[in-house]
Amino acid sequence: MRKVINITVNGRSYEKPISSNQTLLDFLRHDLGLTGTKKGCEVGDCGSCIVLLNGRPVNSCLVLAVQAHGKEVVTIEGLATGEGLHPLQEAFIREGAIQCGFCTPGMILSAKHLLDKNPQPSELEIREAISGNLCRCTGYQKIIEAISSVSAQGQVE
Amino acid sequence: MRRFDYYQPQSLSEAFNLMERLKGDAVYVAGGTDVIVKMKQGAISPKALISLRGIEELRGMESDGGIKLGSMVLFRELERDPHVGAKYYAMKEAASLLANPQIRNVATIGGNLCNAAPSADSAPPLIVLDAAFLLEGPGGSREIPVEEFFTGPGSTCLEDVEILREIRIPAPENKSGNAFVKLGRLKQDIAVVNAAAMVMMEGGVCKRCRVAVGAVAPTPLRLREIEQMVEGGSIDEELLGAVESKVKELVSPITDVRSTQEYRREVSGILVKRALKEALTRAQM
Repeated sequence: MRKVINITVNGRSYEKPISSNQTLLDFLRHDLGLTGTKKGCEVGDCGSCIVLLNGRPVNSCLVLAVQAHGKEVVTIEGLATGEGLHPLQEAFIREGAIQCGFCTPGMILSAKHLLDKNPQPSELEIREAISGNLCRCTGYQKIIEAISSVSAQGQVE
Repeated sequence: MRRFDYYQPQSLSEAFNLMERLKGDAVYVAGGTDVIVKMKQGAISPKALISLRGIEELRGMESDGGIKLGSMVLFRELERDPHVGAKYYAMKEAASLLANPQIRNVATIGGNLCNAAPSADSAPPLIVLDAAFLLEGPGGSREIPVEEFFTGPGSTCLEDVEILREIRIPAPENKSGNAFVKLGRLKQDIAVVNAAAMVMMEGGVCKRCRVAVGAVAPTPLRLREIEQMVEGGSIDEELLGAVESKVKELVSPITDVRSTQEYRREVSGILVKRALKEALTRAQM
């Protein structure tokens, strides 16, 4: 079954035909070429495909593209502005919170949602917010430090 | 994923009509965190999905002394709701320990129940809170107690076209407390064993008790024999020791990737004891 969806991704509106068995993840990567959203386990365990759907972090491998009709999506590509990287992206680089980098887009989007809601989270709250994001390099400590350094600066957008 | 048709009805009657037309070929889908995974893994391959996302009637939460939850209420909403957090601790705890925040943004309470995993975290709390389910089909609606809902692993008493519409939880009694505990490899994992308890105390004597365990039988299990042991006396270490041994006799766990039968049997007694202790502490607050 083909359907046409209207969707806003990183502030830009699209009207695209999709097939009903397509996930939002595949739509972003294949139809829009936004490969910053990573494809890991594909069953909602790893969090590397996390995007913000109407502001809330979800696993895009478990959302059908057709279910994102009329909604707003933010991917990692939507965080940097013309003027530079998002403070979280800066912090991940500065704190060495990136090893292979595969979990990073999902980590940053989960962290962005947390800081948008709660600009001064405790370490426990940070850990809980990224509990759906697996880092196979196991570099969690640096990731937590990076998120915490942004919250301390109070400069989240 | 195999190809399928996707429908998003806007009302219950539209959903019933679609399902009657597509009977045998279609499944209802709520949040999709179980159904989509099963489809990807090839465990099911329906020709059509009927999504319940567009149906406003299934969304609300209402407090009327007790609380009424539409089946499409998200775990994230439950976890954050002040009414749920104030009295229905077992429910709040189960909601906040289910998977992770990203999944809870999508997964619904109705989906968790209709998927009917013996380990479903939302089931033991609803059993001990004496919840009832409102099921609705084209011919009308019926209300059943939670325990009658589950008929086996992955199966429920829902008729082909029927939808779980609402979960009704009565207000917990005064002087009562309730609690949920879960054992997983990590807290957010699917439970190895989970348990919930409710006790109502009067002058140091337990007047009413409810106990339920999950992942140790083909369905979430209410332990009436344990309730009878607890009711009518004080809850002390001696009683809890006896409860622990008895629970181990009553459960019938299996061995799977998450745990062995022996381990599940052993810890089910301990978890019931912990849930009772926690419920007792709250009843005395």
